[in-house]
This record gives sequence, structure tokens and C-alpha cells, in this order.
Amino acid sequence: MTTFYRRLPKFNYLAPDTLDEALSLLSRYKGKAMVIAGGTDIIPRLKRREIGAPEHVIDLKGIPGLDNIKYDVSGLSLGTLVTIGAVETSAIIGEKFSVLAQAAQSMASPQVRNRGTIAGNICNAVPSADSAPPLLTLGAKLKLVSQKGERTVGIEDFFTGPGQTALADDEILQEIQIPHPPPNSQGIYLKLTPRRAMDLAIVGVAAVVIPQDGVCQDIRIALGAVAPTPIRVRKAEAVLKGQKFDDALIEKAAKTAAGQSRPIDDHRASADYRRDMVEVLVKRAIKQAIRR
Amino acid sequence: MAELSVIGQRVPRVDAWEKVTGQAKYAADYSLPDMLWCKLLRSPYPHARILNIDTSKAKKLPGVRGIVTGKDFGGWSWGWMPATRDETPLAVDKVRYMAEAVAGVAAVDEDTAEQAAGLIKVEYEELPGVFDPEEAMKDGAPKVHDYVKNNISVEYHWNFGDVDKAFAESHIVREDRFRTARATHGYLEPPAILAYYDPTGYITVWASKQSPYFHYRHLAACFKVPLSRVRVIQPFIGGGFGGTKNDSLAGDFCAVLLSKMTGRPVKYIESMEEELATSRRRHSVIVYSKMGVTKDGLLKAIQHRVVADGGGYTAIGPLSMYLNGFMTTLPYKLPHFKFDAYRVFTNNPIGAAMRGHGVTHTRFAAEIQMEMLAEELGIDPVEMRMRNAIDNPKPGEIYETINKVTLKTCGLKQAIKEAVEDPLWRDRDKLPKKEGAISWGTGISGSSYSGGARQMGHQACAAIIRLCEDGTVNLITGATDCGQGSDTVLCMIAAEELGIKLDDVAIKRVDTAYTPVDPGSYGSRVTILAGQATQKAAREVKKQLLETAAANWQVKPEDIEIRLGEVFVKSDPEKKMPFIRLARIACYSGTGAVIMGTGYSSYGIEHLDLTNGIGNGGCSYSFTAHTARVGVDMETGQITTTDFTIASDCGRLLSPVQAEGQIEGGAIQGLGQALYEDFIMDRGKTLNPTFLDYKMPHALDVPNIKLIDIVTDDPFGPFGAKETSEGSIVSAPPAVVSAIHDATGIWFKELPVTPEKVVKALKEKK
Ligand SMILES: Cc1cc2nc3c(=O)[nH]c(=O)nc-3n(C[C@H](O)[C@H](O)[C@H](O)COP(=O)(O)OP(=O)(O)OC[C@H]3O[C@@H](n4cnc5c(N)ncnc54)[C@H](O)[C@@H]3O)c2cc1C
Repeated sequence: MTTFYRRLPKFNYLAPDTLDEALSLLSRYKGKAMVIAGGTDIIPRLKRREIGAPEHVIDLKGIPGLDNIKYDVSGLSLGTLVTIGAVETSAIIGEKFSVLAQAAQSMASPQVRNRGTIAGNICNAVPSADSAPPLLTLGAKLKLVSQKGERTVGIEDFFTGPGQTALADDEILQEIQIPHPPPNSQGIYLKLTPRRAMDLAIVGVAAVVIPQDGVCQDIRIALGAVAPTPIRVRKAEAVLKGQKFDDALIEKAAKTAAGQSRPIDDHRASADYRRDMVEVLVKRAIKQAIRR
Repeated sequence: MAELSVIGQRVPRVDAWEKVTGQAKYAADYSLPDMLWCKLLRSPYPHARILNIDTSKAKKLPGVRGIVTGKDFGGWSWGWMPATRDETPLAVDKVRYMAEAVAGVAAVDEDTAEQAAGLIKVEYEELPGVFDPEEAMKDGAPKVHDYVKNNISVEYHWNFGDVDKAFAESHIVREDRFRTARATHGYLEPPAILAYYDPTGYITVWASKQSPYFHYRHLAACFKVPLSRVRVIQPFIGGGFGGTKNDSLAGDFCAVLLSKMTGRPVKYIESMEEELATSRRRHSVIVYSKMGVTKDGLLKAIQHRVVADGGGYTAIGPLSMYLNGFMTTLPYKLPHFKFDAYRVFTNNPIGAAMRGHGVTHTRFAAEIQMEMLAEELGIDPVEMRMRNAIDNPKPGEIYETINKVTLKTCGLKQAIKEAVEDPLWRDRDKLPKKEGAISWGTGISGSSYSGGARQMGHQACAAIIRLCEDGTVNLITGATDCGQGSDTVLCMIAAEELGIKLDDVAIKRVDTAYTPVDPGSYGSRVTILAGQATQKAAREVKKQLLETAAANWQVKPEDIEIRLGEVFVKSDPEKKMPFIRLARIACYSGTGAVIMGTGYSSYGIEHLDLTNGIGNGGCSYSFTAHTARVGVDMETGQITTTDFTIASDCGRLLSPVQAEGQIEGGAIQGLGQALYEDFIMDRGKTLNPTFLDYKMPHALDVPNIKLIDIVTDDPFGPFGAKETSEGSIVSAPPAVVSAIHDATGIWFKELPVTPEKVVKALKEKK
């Protein structure tokens, strides 16, 4: 049987009511269980037999309190069940963390956005995950919990390879924490797709810039879909940091970003095209961010 | 034309209510008690010998009721012509494309059937494959079939006039290579069937077929039962567009055989991924086009050498290749034409029919090449087309092309005139040419497509109308509505002819046990042929009714008129009665008469000459002029299509709402093939068998579309109708590519024009 979309494999479905219960199940079935949030990644992948069927599937959706968007002195925190749609429509995120809202808006369709979560997008860890470049530029931290305790991991250390993360077998991502961005920072997310909607990114670029009187006080640039994981491109950032913005320098930063990307050829695009488009999109993102 | 009451009205489709409320039942919605589920095992190799199939493990799985392999069909094979019967229900000795079916399982539920299919062990010997048609034609290439030489499944060589002389006399001659994409239909309903082979030897199936009578013949032949014992019942169909749903598929044959073996009904539903990986898609065609023109831009000659990727089997290929050639002499005057066509077997999925069948390739090539020549000559593209366009024949006169295609009407010149008067074209220089990275361009194309397609050997098309005593009628025909809306048009024709309301006509869906034989839906044939048949059947009913009324009022039948449900004497309108009353009188009078009318189409029954390409492939021809505006991002290569203006001569629009939907739909599907759609293949494997990665345009990618009707009443069509919808799928790609050229200065010769191709070409240009 070639690998066509098939019926869902058989597994044991568990629906805990509390996070503790979920963690205890996860630790009991360590290695044999899988966490499910919106299911928009996992269900198609199971049907396509891209991943082996787990013995147990632990559904987080019934756990109250995990879908909070909290904004306070320490910054923004997104509970693990916060959907893409909630981020897209949150007033505070639109205002203060616009780059993330832009990414949410670019994703999938309203149906999928209403079901899929940002945490799921991050944990699924494909190179093209749209929420990753904005979270990288915003310096997000991830709170991971297990029965043994909790730890916080910077998002840059979270992605370890295509589909690979720092999550241990018995851990759950409980919260995405995003510090307050500097007041005058501007963020842009640009996503290159063949059509206007419902496409995965050929290239995703997030840029957060702090401009001050024509000088680049600080800048963060992150790329999606052009390396084994979403990446930050520090060398490209360094080209502009502390410098006066000018076209030639922006061009140089964009070229540097392209040089730092490590895209592959696949059926969606060639590596060469992707690399070229990193340059175009980084340049555009920076210019748009300054103009904002 | 007499005053019309129903034809030309903007009415909803007769099946609209059922469809929008979810009541319409499709093949996958049917079930029977005790039903089993069928799943197929498909080949993981594009070319391999089958050494052994071991089903023992699968058989032992609880819940499995039957397993079939290729040998169980007793060597039966089928094909579009006797000489091309090269396909078997399941692969027997060899698989010829990736995911070709090798075994079928019936089990008590889908999961068990799927699991059992996975337990079947097939031993393969992988064979070297060939995936490029030009490679496949070379000596020494791996052989896909042994019964042909050099993998050539179909070839034609036509020669009209003297192209060599014409090229020698031409002012400029161009030679270019074009290529069209591996595009597919993209309907929402994947194929499905519910089959029951009852123990007394009758086969009944509910199957999603746009040609139910092809399927009926295939089943009778495969299972060696008389046609009178095969019943194909047509459910609602979720889109056809040719190819897959015109033909029979592995799942169909397996479901029937498994039902025969188990004595239980068997249902098979293809998954969308299976469908996308194995569909009988449009051929990808390479067109070597040579075109010569005079100093004034008049066409002297076209020579086409086309090489089509046929995939693993012939299917409808002989017709596809004929259609690649026969309409090249339209819509411009062409004195010399040479055509050499090769359809080549490869280890790719099967190339077959799709809306705009055959013509999309060669018209794209010729249209673009003509514009390249216009550019070289410094002639305006509109002027170039006007100089070459075929004139509208005067009433009663006929225009004949060099290959004896005959036109009674041709609205091309009028269509071009009106399309270029539209602001999209007229004001194109007033609109911005450049905005930031976006470069704007406007393009134009012309096209033609035949309506009332004909078929080798089998052309029957009939209708029966039965009057009910309450004044309503049943319309019965073998013509299939696969979603295009023909049921509505046929009901409108019946209502118009009988003088009754549209609501009073009920159309039955095809049931081969009761409806008259018909080849089905393809080649824009249903409205024209079944339309004429319906018209004749209605006239026969009307004649009987007029006689009854005449006897009743003691006048002559010709003195009576029926309109919108009222019957009256023309000279004395005081003498009148409702239609229902006349119906009662007629049905109850005397002997208990049964008022019934039958009619069959008489259009286009001449011999179809595939081999020599002489004569008509259809009854009449639509003409389209199409303009497009696109914006090209000169850095990313992304293309936005903002506007289409389409002027079409479809004869007369019988149901304007539906005709508009067809023209727009065809144009959007054409846009998909111009910019987005292509199967990405790697040595026979489809890398994008999902709608996530097989890119069809979405609502947001679709331009504003303005339609202009050019009404020519064709004498060879009911109420003057010709075809609609296939013209615009042919005209869209060249219009878009012409607009891209206007924006970028680059001629793209390979479809689809993806952002990546644009960026590459822009780099090369620098
Ligand atoms: C039609 C369609 C279009 C799409 N378009 C896009 C797009 O444009 N851009 C894009 O980036 N993605 C897209 N996706 C992918 C998907 O929708 C997103 O990645 C989504 O964010 C996944 O969230 P989810 O809650 O559905 O994850 P799930 O499928 O529930 O889970 C995904 C993975 O994360 C793990 N996981 C989930 N939650 C946790 C947790 N709290 N702790 C630990 N592990 C966890 C699961 O075990 C699983 O491995 C699309 C999907 C579909 C079906």
C-alpha cells in the first residue's frame, strides 16, 4: 500500500480534566503516548502514516484554563490551548505584538485557525511553521512542564531539527512567554506563497526593528522554511545594528540573511529560489518595518 | 426567432435546492444492508513485473470476505478502440505506473479492508522506467507495452495543402517549443461506487460516472452478461470534466467482482489522494510549432509536431490526439496545415480527457506564436487577429477550413471588437505600468471550441417525454448531468416547446435499465444533442395535444397556441383552457391514450475520420476573445490576475445564469493551468497528490470577470445554441501569458508560469 491518506490508526484516546492528570498519564505511558491539541497537524500526519501510531493519545482540549491570553507587567503569555484564531483577533497582540498577529492571519483557513493552536504549531516544529519566526524575533520563552517539575527554554533552543524539539517524552508545553517589546519597535511578517491563502510558506521572514532617528538601535530577523529549523540570522542583524538605515546597507543585510539560510530543493520550490526570496523578503520586511 | 417564454430566462437550476440543502445524494452516500467495503492495494513502483501475489495472510484477517487479483478477471481487457484494449481491471503481469491497482479486498468495514490490503504480499521485479515521452520514443528505451513500437500508442500524420511551399513563401517563419502542464480536473467528489451483483445474474451499480453507458458496456463485457442485465444508476455527480469519470476504474471492477464472489453489496470510495495520484488527467503535451506569415501578418502555414505523455495506457488517447490537431484550423484562416502527433507510453499515470480536451495545448502554442510573429512584424496584436480571423458566414452559407471543418456561424471578429472596446483593453495605457515591484500587463487571445462532439461508432442521443394527467411531464434521457447543469437546460427546452412552466417538467437521472442509450457528458455535446432530442420529443407530445384540443374546439391544430400553461385558439382567444385540462382530456379520452413523445438527435452523424483528421469533430463551434490584466512582482515572480473580459459567441444562451457560470468556471480552470497547476513528478511518483500542494486557484486568486455575449444563432443547435465553457478554458492561458509578456517582455512557453520560472527568466534576461 503506497502511503495514501488512510483511515485513522487505532489508539487509546485519553481526555484528562487537569494538567496534573495529563502529566501523570504522559509519564505513565512515556514514549507510547502523544499529546494532541487542535489536531490539525497530527491527525493528517497519522492518516498519511507519516508517523507511527501511538498507543495513547492524550487530548489537552478538555483542560480548563489553558487557553488564556495574559498581558501584564511581565509581558504576554499564551496558554497552550490558545488558538491561531485567538491570536489573530486579540486586540492587545494586534497592537503590541503585531508581527505575531500578522503571522497568525497568514495561516491556513478560518476553520483551521479556529482549531489549531500556536503551541501545536511550535511543537510540530516544521521549518515552515509560521508562528516560529515572529516568536524568535520577539525572544519568546517556553515553559515546559512534567511531573518532575518545570523548566523554561528559549525558543531558539527549542527547535532541534525538522520536527524535532527539546521537549522530553513526558513534557508538555504549558505556556509561551513573550517579554514586552521596546516601545518603539516595529515588526513585520512576510510570507511568500504561490496563492493568496491556504498555502504553506515557501519562505517566511519576520523582522522586528527599533528605529531611532534613522538609526537602527536594534533589529531581529528570523526565517522560516529555509533551514532545518526556523532560524534567527544574527550576522544579518549585525550588518544593521547601530548603523544608519540606508538602502545599500539594508540590501547587504538581506544578502547576508540569504547567505545564512540553508534551504533545500523540494516540490514546493528550489533551494536557489528560496535563497533569492530570503533576500527580497528581508529587504522588504525591514523597509516596511521602518516605514511603520 | 419566435418569442420565448422560458429559454433565456435567468432561472435557478432544477437541482439547486437539493444541492444547497445537502439533500442531493452522491455515489458515496448510498448504502445497502449487509454491504461490504472495498479497498485497493496499489503498486509502490512505476514499472515492475508482478512475480507473485500472496493473499493468504490477508484472507485470514477476521472480517475479510473476499480478495481479488488481476488473474481473477480472466484476461479481459478494455480500451477506447478495439485496437487499444490494453488495460485490465487490475494489473496482471506488470504494473505500468505508480499506484496502479494490483488487488482488491472486501471486508466488513473500511478499517479491516484497509488493513487486509496491507497484508497482501506482492513480489515485484522492478523494471527500468521511462518518464519523459521524448525519451520513451527513442530506440532502446524501456518498453511500457510490447504491442507497439517505440512506445508510440497513437500517431497521426495529416497534411493539408503544401506547408513547405508556404513556409518558403512566408516573410517570417518561427519555430518554438511549447509545453503544457500535467493538469487534472480537481472536482470535489472522488470516484465512488456501490455495486450489487445479485445471485440471479443482474448487476446493479450506483457509480459516479459522467458516461454511465460506457461503464454499462464495460461491465457487460467484463462479466459476460447481457446488457439488459446491467443497470447503472446515476446518482448526483460532484463534477466530471472528462477523463476519470468517463471511464471505468479498478475500484469499479473490483467492487462488482467482489460482490459476485460474496453475494453481498460492495462499496468503494477512492480517497482524494488516490484520485490525485492516479486520475486520468490531461495529457502534458510538447508542441513543436512552426508558423509562417506574410509581411502583412497573414497566416500562411502551421506545422505542429506534438508529443504527448500518454502514461501507462491508451484510454481515450486516440481522441485526445485527434483533438490536438483538428481544431488548429480555427479560429483563424489557415491555408496550409501539417500535423504529426505522437502519444507516447511512459510510466506516468494515464493521460486522458479534460475540459478543453486536446485543444488547450495546440491553441496555446499557436496563439502565443502568432503574437510573437506580430511583435516581430510590429503589428498590433488585435490587428493581427482581426486580419486573420474567420468571418461570420452569411446566413445559409458555410465556411470550410482546409481540413473540411464547417462553420455556419462565427462571432470571432465581433467578439474581438467588443472585447477591445471594453475599458480593460481600451484604457490599458492609462492604467499604471509599474507600481513598486509590480509590473502590469494586458493580454489578449482568441479561441474556438467544438460543441456537440461526436464519438466513433456510437452517437445515439435520445429523449422521451411522458405527459402526466395533471399536466406535468417527465423528461427521460440517457444524457448525464455531471454538474454542468444540462438537466436544467433540457427541462427549459421541454417547457419552452410544450408551452408549460419549467416547474412542470421533471427530469429523471440516468438509469440504464430505463433511459435511452447515450455516450454521456463530454465535448460540450449534451445541450446540443440531447437538447435537439428533447425538442423533438416535446414537439411530438405537443402535436398530439394540439390534435386533441383541435378536436375539442373544432378548429385546426395549427390554430392553437400553448404558452406558459394556457391553451387558446389564436384567432379567438376567448376559447381557452389551462394546460392541465387539455392534459386530462388527452389522457382520459377514448382508448386511454398514453401521450408520449420520443426524439433523437440528427446533428453530426457524419463519419468521424480520426486517422486523416478530415471533417467535423463537432456540430458547431464557439468563438471567444479574451483579455486579461496581470501584475507581476518583478522580484518574487508572483503573478496577480486582476481582470478578465471574455466575449464569447456561444450561439444563443439558453440558460444565461448557467452559461455565465460555465464560461467563468472554464476561465478560472484555465487560469489554474496558466499559473498554478501541475503535478510535480519524480520518476513516476507524484510528489503533490493533495490539494495543499496541487495548487488550484482559490476565490482570492480569481480575477474580476466581465462577460460579453455575442449572439449568433447557429442553425445546428437547439434555439441557436452552441457550446459554452470549453472555449474559455482554451482562451485563458494564452490571454494570461500574453499579459505576462506585456508586463515582463518575456514569452513563457511552458505552463504553468510559476513565480520561480518568472524569476529565473528575469535573471536570464538581465
Ligand atoms: C489545511 C491546513 C492548512 C495549514 N496551514 C498552515 C499554515 O499556513 N501555516 C502553518 O504554520 N501551519 C499550517 N497548518 C498546520 C497546523 O494547522 C498548525 O501547525 C497548527 O498550529 C497546529 O496546531 P494544533 O493545535 O492543531 O496541533 P496538533 O496537531 O494538535 O499537534 C501538533 C504537534 O504538537 C504536539 N503538541 C501539541 N500541543 C502540545 C503541547 N502543549 N505540549 C507538547 N506537545 C504538543 C502534538 O503532539 C503534535 O506533535 C495547516 C494545517 C492544515 C490542515
